[in-house]
Amino acid sequence: MSLIIAGRIIPISGDQKVAPSETASFQGRVWIGNDGRIAAVTKGTASIAGSQMNLADFDNAPVVDAGTDLVVPGFIDLHSHLAYATLPLWVEPNRTVPFQHHDIWPTRPTYPESVTWPAYAFIEAAPAELLAYAEIRALIGGTTSIQGSPPSNRPLDGWLVRNIEDETLGGEIGRHKVLASTLTLKPEQLGERAISMRQGATFIYHCAEGSPGSIVQREYRAAHTAGCLQRRLVAIHTNAIDSASYGTWGEPGAIVWSPFSNLWLYGATTDVPAAVARKINLCVGSDWGPSGTRNVLGELKVASLVSEVKGWGLSAFDLVKMITANPGDVLAQAWSRQAGRLEPGALGDVAVIAANAKAGSRPDPFKTILRATEADVQLVVVDGRPQYGTERLMRQAGVTQTSMIAINGETRRLALTRFEGNGEPWSYKEILARLEEVRDDPKEAIESARRLAFAAIRSGEPPPLRLALDMPTGRVPVGGLPKDLSKISVPPIQPLAHDKEFFASIPGRGFHDGLLEGLADFYD
Amino acid sequence: MMDCSKDWPIFMIDQDLNVTLLQAQTGQLLSEFLLGESPSGQRAKRGARPDFRIPRARLLDGGERLQIIDTLIAVIGGVYCHLPQKRAAYALDPVQALQLLRAHVAALSEGEFHLALTSIVSGLRDAHTRYSGPGAKQGAVAALPFLVEQYGPYDNPIFVVSKVSAPELIRDAKFTSGVILESWNSIPFARAVDLHADRETGGRPDARRARALESLTFRALECGPPPDEMMVDIGYRIPLRRTLREVRIPWRVVQPDRAQTSHQPGSRASRYIAADPAAEAVRRTKKLMFSGNIWQADRSGTPVARGERWIETRFQDALAARVVKNGSSGNLGYLRIWSFDVNDDDAFIAEVVRLLELLPDNGLILDLRGNPGGLIWAAERLLQLFTPNTITPARFSLLASHMTRAMASSPFNRMEFEAWLPSLEAAISTGEPYSQPLPLTDPTWCNDIGQRYSGPVVCVVDPNTYSSGDLFAAGFVDNEIGTLVCVGEATGAGGANVWTHYDLREALRGTSFELDALPADVGYTMAIRRAIRCGACDGMPIEDLGIPGIAYEMTLDDLLHENRDLIAFCASLLKGIPRTAMIVELNESSVTVTTRGLEELETYVNGRPFEAVRRISDGAQQLARPDAETIEFVGRHKGEICQRRKLSLK
Ligand SMILES: [Zn+2]
Repeated sequence: MSLIIAGRIIPISGDQKVAPSETASFQGRVWIGNDGRIAAVTKGTASIAGSQMNLADFDNAPVVDAGTDLVVPGFIDLHSHLAYATLPLWVEPNRTVPFQHHDIWPTRPTYPESVTWPAYAFIEAAPAELLAYAEIRALIGGTTSIQGSPPSNRPLDGWLVRNIEDETLGGEIGRHKVLASTLTLKPEQLGERAISMRQGATFIYHCAEGSPGSIVQREYRAAHTAGCLQRRLVAIHTNAIDSASYGTWGEPGAIVWSPFSNLWLYGATTDVPAAVARKINLCVGSDWGPSGTRNVLGELKVASLVSEVKGWGLSAFDLVKMITANPGDVLAQAWSRQAGRLEPGALGDVAVIAANAKAGSRPDPFKTILRATEADVQLVVVDGRPQYGTERLMRQAGVTQTSMIAINGETRRLALTRFEGNGEPWSYKEILARLEEVRDDPKEAIESARRLAFAAIRSGEPPPLRLALDMPTGRVPVGGLPKDLSKISVPPIQPLAHDKEFFASIPGRGFHDGLLEGLADFYD
Repeated sequence: MMDCSKDWPIFMIDQDLNVTLLQAQTGQLLSEFLLGESPSGQRAKRGARPDFRIPRARLLDGGERLQIIDTLIAVIGGVYCHLPQKRAAYALDPVQALQLLRAHVAALSEGEFHLALTSIVSGLRDAHTRYSGPGAKQGAVAALPFLVEQYGPYDNPIFVVSKVSAPELIRDAKFTSGVILESWNSIPFARAVDLHADRETGGRPDARRARALESLTFRALECGPPPDEMMVDIGYRIPLRRTLREVRIPWRVVQPDRAQTSHQPGSRASRYIAADPAAEAVRRTKKLMFSGNIWQADRSGTPVARGERWIETRFQDALAARVVKNGSSGNLGYLRIWSFDVNDDDAFIAEVVRLLELLPDNGLILDLRGNPGGLIWAAERLLQLFTPNTITPARFSLLASHMTRAMASSPFNRMEFEAWLPSLEAAISTGEPYSQPLPLTDPTWCNDIGQRYSGPVVCVVDPNTYSSGDLFAAGFVDNEIGTLVCVGEATGAGGANVWTHYDLREALRGTSFELDALPADVGYTMAIRRAIRCGACDGMPIEDLGIPGIAYEMTLDDLLHENRDLIAFCASLLKGIPRTAMIVELNESSVTVTTRGLEELETYVNGRPFEAVRRISDGAQQLARPDAETIEFVGRHKGEICQRRKLSLK
């Protein structure tokens, strides 16, 4: 179904037919065709007559009128871990010094009980609900594509938001175009990835995550030796390396910067100016529940705080690009389809952000985006399908099968359908109820899920959806779990949006020297 | 009987059909089962006689046979944990044998195919690793309505009928418990046992013979072929009489069902099973045939005592306890552990603790004869109750192969197998045939309750003590808990964790070794992790070797009078051991420790020394109840730790 969105268009496009520059913005329309691709981006109320597009496609297309609100490319979160989305921020009690690197914190005694086991309870007992929770959490922050899907026995594409590792664009491209690894790979495996990248795959790799100069910087050297420093490599973190090392990345790829997580765990983050100077494509990612923000729109504010404190001088435009056009270019390489920019041929992934009423007549739209919170997200469209938005815009978009969802007191409509089913709507309320059930009695929930899986395998039915954890498990007994599963204590399921309690859990915890406390100011 | 195909027997009898015990014991004739008309499978009408007939097995076509063989080639070559040992011990190559069979399998008759396949698998002499063909889906067991046991020396035993089932099943009033068996289908009885031993699993000849003896009257049909003959001519003598009598008894097929407390398919526990599924089905059948009241009570879920003098327990399928009187050493405790097939090891252990409190603390006989195994956690965690020593559990290795590496590196198996992965990968360069051995029962779980029984302990086993039974016996010896008495040479020697085809299929999903569903109800069980002992026997496998103990030969009195001589023998072993005891009572504001035979008492609070070592004599000691998590008392006699009690204060 085609869709027309009218409003203040922020295309971030280098396409001269759309806009004279990437920073340009104008009142206009985005035309998304039946195929979920952007057919045209036009100025004013001009029609697309005379263009190459098939006008008939848009004869009955609903028009969403966003007024002066900003119509922007849907945000892309190139670094997260969906399986851990429900968890609160975690610290090792009584620790006073930052962790050296990513191999240290998983060995702490409270890690499995605080992180691994609660996450396991959800992915084992309620995998579809967990996935729904994590994707809704991304969606309400304007995210249309997210990395970090848990390993799954079922393809995860074509549902709510795009799962970057699983996306096939409706079968247009093959699977495994985007490979990812959270865990450090051995040289042999890195060599295999080097080959895959030469054959066209994109590889998103957690690399050299730790304090600058710590031992894990050799992971970057290993990637180099194995031949992985290619254009199609997306390195997550690299905050442990000496910035001169970026020079060895001959044909630069991309880096995903997750400042919240870095500062929380290590007190130090990626040297962004050094990477930018080497023409490395910088993207921002939210990372996971235990040491990250709840969506990439929140992470953007942390990036801005860091830039300010360090005097890096990143503009609002620079920053917004890190969650739109920059990761969009990474995906364009993998999918042969532009993402993160509004221009003809690009994916029809769009977010509508409320214009800042207080900021005068011609505010910098990029500052508005930077300062936007979940409450400002008015509509999110994935592949031309409106998935989430205000009652008014969803109605204009012609979406009727929706359920109500409240975000920080604001009411929105959600067009989620059941993971397995014939398109029946699925409400956040139902999802939360099931997750709470698991939380109340993890032992029974885990055991009954196992029994069901077993019954399915016995009767020859297809196995139920299964997910796996992608982070380190930590120091666990043989077999991975406590003897008594009822001893698994699952922390309260966190609200979807950044809220007062989240900000209250920051001061005095983690190793950010107070810097992350500034995040709360964006949400006043 | 057991559905080896997937897992363990699940057989459902509708409670509302109200099957009488005699009907269940009668079952159907083997001839009817094999040759009669196949039942429709429709539910019987209320009030109608229950239909015990089992649907006829489906024939397998050539393609299906290839599928079965290919699966077995893959799993025996890829994950079967005893493969190197079986190659060495029996000079056989099951993978090559299967390859050879594959070449002409499509042309064989149904009977030839199953015979060829089962003989390759049973050639491994491993009761854990079994093939079950189509039609074996219900837990059927072929049975004769009496129990044969032997006594006397191993090389010249006497075979005696120790129990008979309902009199309606045998048309000869003189054939009662106590008669001596002379021939079996006109073959001298001892010879018949030897002939059957050839077909049986078991590493040592004596273990095979023990199973052969059992197989003369019981066959789990899921795990092996049915008897060749429809009925058996038994030659017997009444003791002290010369006349040789003969009786013809037909084989019957019965359905013993599983106990309510047994492990549930698909539960977390089901991946931690070490048991002989066939022996478990036979054990249940014996219960049906000879202890019908308990079998029935179990079905209705009522706790019951085994008989007079026995203590009531809701774990009647797995446990039985009573006080035995013994002239010279006073009363002793006797705890029969029939099986470790339980789903909830915590509940099982709690029940043992309760029973121990009801038994005299003078000395205890643990009787594990015929225990076919069950949940590994139940066996290994039970050990701690009987000793002040810290328990070290057995450890288990995976075969190092491409298949096990793929399984261990699958993201879906991280919880289960991540710990095994580094050594499996290292094995590529070290050439080790196995992964590093790791415990399946975490050492902290083996020591989370601690000693609960004061007196000395003897454990009795036989060659039918198998798998988790072997593990208990090994732990009993290796952790120096007490004296092991063995009727026969050693325990049954099944040293592995057993999985079903379904377990393997699930674990290999998403790897390049994915397994397909098997046709019809075909299935198998497979030894997947090989057990290695600890302590003085550190590094020794259990498979095919078993755990030897102090030898004991059964007597006629044992068979006919509740193990009278065996108990006296055990009592004599317990006699020489100094008796010490400790009872700890927690009160609101104080803790009382009552001891006997101890001279020193150490107290630890939250794991730290609480006070100086107290010099004590028999009687009660009292101290204020500390505000802490745990309190532990250690009692010494002549400097040696004899008693230890650990209690939670919260
Ligand atoms: Zn990460």
